[in-house]
Amino acid sequence: MTASRAWRVRPRLRPRELGLLIVVAATLFCGWVSLASTEAGELALGEPVVLLVYLGLLALLHFSFVLAGRRMDEVLLPAVGLLGGLSLLLMARLPQGLVVQSFAGRELGLGPLQLLWLSVALVLLGTLAIVVRSDGWLRYYKYSWAAAGVALLLMVFVLGEETNGARLSVSLGPLTGQPSELLKIILVVFLAGYLADNRPLLARTSTNLGPIALPPVPYLLPMVAMWGIALSIVIVQRDLGAALLFFSVFLSLLYIATQRVSFVILGVLLFLAGGAVLYNLFDHVQDRVDIWLDPFADAQDTGFQLVRALYAFGRGGILGTGLGAGLPSVGNNLAIPLLHTDFAFASLAEELGLLGGLAILALYLVIAQRGLRIAASAADDFRGLLAAGLTLVIVIQAAIIIGGNAKLVPLTGITLPFVSYGGSSLIANAIIVGLLLALSDQGVEPPPPRRASRRERASDRARQIGGRIEEALS
Amino acid sequence: MDGFTLTLWVLRLAFLALIYLFLFFLARALWRDLRASAASAVRSLGRLVVLVSPEGQPPEGASIPLDAVNTLGRDVNNSIVVEDQFASSEHAVLTFRGRAWYVEDRGSTNGTWLNGEAVGSAAPLGFGDEIQVGQVRFRLDRPLTESA
Amino acid sequence: MRGQGGAPRIGGSIMRVALALLVMYAGLAGGLTYWQVVQAQELTEAPGNPLTLAASRTEPRGRILDSRGTVLARNIEGEDGLPRREYSFLATTPIIGYKSVRFGATGLESTYDAEMVGLGRSSPAERLLRKFRSDPYDPQDLVLSIDARLQGRAFDLLGGDRGAVVAIEPATGRVLAMVSAPTFNANLIVDPARAEAAFAQLNEDPPEASRLLNRATQGRYTPGSVFKIVTAIAAVGSGAVDADTVYEEQPAAEEDGLRVEGFRIRDGHHTFTGNEALNFVEATEVSCNIYFALAGLATGEDDLFEWSRRLGFGSRIPFELPTAPSFVSGGTQAEDGFDDSVELASAAYGQGETFVTPLQMALVAQAVANDGQLMKPKLVDELRAESGSVRTLSPESLSRVTSASQAALIQEAMQAAVEGEFGEDFAGAAKVPGVPTAGKSGTAELGGEGEPHSWFIGFAPVEEPQIAVAVIVERAGFGRERAVPLAGQLMETYLDLAE
Repeated sequence: MTASRAWRVRPRLRPRELGLLIVVAATLFCGWVSLASTEAGELALGEPVVLLVYLGLLALLHFSFVLAGRRMDEVLLPAVGLLGGLSLLLMARLPQGLVVQSFAGRELGLGPLQLLWLSVALVLLGTLAIVVRSDGWLRYYKYSWAAAGVALLLMVFVLGEETNGARLSVSLGPLTGQPSELLKIILVVFLAGYLADNRPLLARTSTNLGPIALPPVPYLLPMVAMWGIALSIVIVQRDLGAALLFFSVFLSLLYIATQRVSFVILGVLLFLAGGAVLYNLFDHVQDRVDIWLDPFADAQDTGFQLVRALYAFGRGGILGTGLGAGLPSVGNNLAIPLLHTDFAFASLAEELGLLGGLAILALYLVIAQRGLRIAASAADDFRGLLAAGLTLVIVIQAAIIIGGNAKLVPLTGITLPFVSYGGSSLIANAIIVGLLLALSDQGVEPPPPRRASRRERASDRARQIGGRIEEALS
Repeated sequence: MDGFTLTLWVLRLAFLALIYLFLFFLARALWRDLRASAASAVRSLGRLVVLVSPEGQPPEGASIPLDAVNTLGRDVNNSIVVEDQFASSEHAVLTFRGRAWYVEDRGSTNGTWLNGEAVGSAAPLGFGDEIQVGQVRFRLDRPLTESA
Repeated sequence: MRGQGGAPRIGGSIMRVALALLVMYAGLAGGLTYWQVVQAQELTEAPGNPLTLAASRTEPRGRILDSRGTVLARNIEGEDGLPRREYSFLATTPIIGYKSVRFGATGLESTYDAEMVGLGRSSPAERLLRKFRSDPYDPQDLVLSIDARLQGRAFDLLGGDRGAVVAIEPATGRVLAMVSAPTFNANLIVDPARAEAAFAQLNEDPPEASRLLNRATQGRYTPGSVFKIVTAIAAVGSGAVDADTVYEEQPAAEEDGLRVEGFRIRDGHHTFTGNEALNFVEATEVSCNIYFALAGLATGEDDLFEWSRRLGFGSRIPFELPTAPSFVSGGTQAEDGFDDSVELASAAYGQGETFVTPLQMALVAQAVANDGQLMKPKLVDELRAESGSVRTLSPESLSRVTSASQAALIQEAMQAAVEGEFGEDFAGAAKVPGVPTAGKSGTAELGGEGEPHSWFIGFAPVEEPQIAVAVIVERAGFGRERAVPLAGQLMETYLDLAE
């Protein structure tokens, strides 16, 4: 234990986080009673174990943070906590048989499973937030990360199993996961490293191709590579959502790094060109766009989901039907297919109304504000780009799927961060928020010295004390 | 309208109201944070004053505001470019770690010097201390006050 | 200022990205508001909304009544204890359709699904209050303009033949009877025990004998001579023809046909009209193909389209049931126009590639009877809520087709076609005893073997008309053999009932 470690373990109270978490607990409790009463037809508590476990977990996380004593952001955890709580309220009221897995001989339905995944995700989030004190493992291995990402992608291409027309899942033994969720983090890590290294030299230069000023080759290459990856994801995986997400996060980071609108315009043009070609070549792309333009044209078949989602929005109105009073299923059929994943937002908007829907949007904006704030005050470019990229992944993903639910953009099968059912998605997003929290601590070590002997570290300690005295004097 | 339905709706609306109460608290927290950061954003952490610079890059007498992490060296990718024949491309890094300044050598050929002593791994320094990179000498100064 | 070579700090561009995110989310918020506030009611009432589907399993459902209060459809409790529909008359199936948990809804059961379940249009305040009631539904009864007695009579008159009858009140567009035969027993479809077999059987019908097809609104037929009234409306409306218009070449052409670009249009009435050049009323009376071919050529393609469009051709007629569009054209899908004068001339007297629905032809008769004003056809007069509130659906006009005086000329011609010296031979059987009656018969030659379709459109009385009808009996021979007497008896029935 070094002296600095010992200092860091000193607890630091987080009153703002505590206050916000108390409001979250009160909110979720109120929602839980409302849900249970609606289902029971009289004032009832239902089975509050699920909620209590969840709230307990949030409290545990809070106290761990207090004990860890880091100066981390105090707003992110409550915001994420409320989103996760809304997710629990939703999953608890959907038909539990939607997803069934057995763990240790016990069959778990949708609600308990989501609680399980949320717990795993929150623990991971807390661990990352407390443990990550250096970014060297991300910073110095960007090409290794990139290689890992490509390997992951290839694995999906080869081993991927089709679900709902998209090849997303990979099974390894008993575990099934969606690697594209992890891929988005790896992508941001690589891009942040790459752009941070190259931006000072290249922000003002360009490659001239005749009269057209193209970005310098070091930008052009990853741009074309990203474009290729996005296209191949659409073609091979049939996953339009991931492609759209990757490309927009890439363009945003490119803009943040270079501040050149022309690159973004070029990127958008590339994307549109690629989109037009894909539209003409591939039926599944064409179908998605056609459904988007007029879902009612084939309301019983291809447009079914979207039309049903719009009905759900309509039923919700301004105040919503109330928790538990929506219409998740008609007879034995779900009112909207994939209600628990792709259409979680439509379902919440039905039960909580426009007011609830807007509140959810606001929660994502809060995450955006925190994340970008952390990025703007980061110690250096790498950390800034990393924080911005991680934030954008969550916020843009939420916008894509919410826009898809509400027929504002073509519907794509991606999850609503922290709300949709699914382990991969929850864990990936928890990693993101965990990293953001770690990055928000301004005292994160700078790039570690490359060579430092034990003796030097000892003398370093001595000087540190000297430095502190000097600071106190000055 | 029976009593139970009414209670249920009170609960439902209370739920929505609590969500918005939460958002209100969030907004207040964000606003305070924004005000605090607006006040601190202007203040830099410190500055490097160039004392001696035989090749004129950086120019003598220049005052360079510092970020939390500042790299020095000949390479253009450094935040402070030192055009000096005795400087390495990645020469040194000057960091502010929450409470104090540190300077480290990054494996340069000719070493980094703090007040005339060779610097190995992170060495703490205070305002008024002098750093030498190649032939260029800097002094760490406190940041300029806003009013000045 | 940063050190030399350093790029600008990223803080500024992060602000701009944040701004872009804000705009993006504002867009999302706008989209949500659109669906949840602006479109909310419309979506809630949409027939496909699963809420109405869910409600129909448990909630009471409004009844469907005819104009005099006779129950046409109501909820009963089935053997399985679940609510189920019961339909009183076979003849109303094409209008009412069915509402089945298994097979969904058709007809008015589908169109007014939300209203009958009780989710119907209400004021925002009512909607808000409804949220706070333990029973949020307010089922509404439909009161139709249909008279069950007339409907039954029309169905009986068809007597098992394939065909359709549409009767409309000219001044309002209220549909008095709408029959399509053959039809099916909707009670079988809503009975879970028998639905599967009944549906399978219906699906085995050959297409031309389909019982699921509502011929009145979706059957598309070659009109034959009844289309001459459309030509007449276009010709008189555009001014190409007036009461005194005669074509000098017409008498001579009666002998061996009128040559249009080498194509010969023939006629069959010259044996009794002689070589006199006919005026408009006389030509209508004897259904002179050559006169109407010439009138069509004189009117021209553009005006023929313009007036047929005013009558509702070329697009779906706005109605409470699904309708097929009628077309005046050489093609089948859209108003492609005519390739040459031959097609124009053929269409003008009712042959060629023109397809019409019986509802469309009933509206042609309605427009003439109503002094040139086309009304929107409607089936539902009132929505009566259980809570006692009544919403009346008022008549709406669709378009002004001709002036009243132009309509009067066509009325005169149509009266001559029923009551005139020669007209009597064609359509005299449509005359309601003691009541001035107007109309036009038609015989749609289909080519190939088999009898032609038998057509009639008309209205009575000529002054202050009470009823306008269109009748088609498939493969039943000449107009005068089947459709004409049927229409006459129908109009007589209605006028008797009204007294």
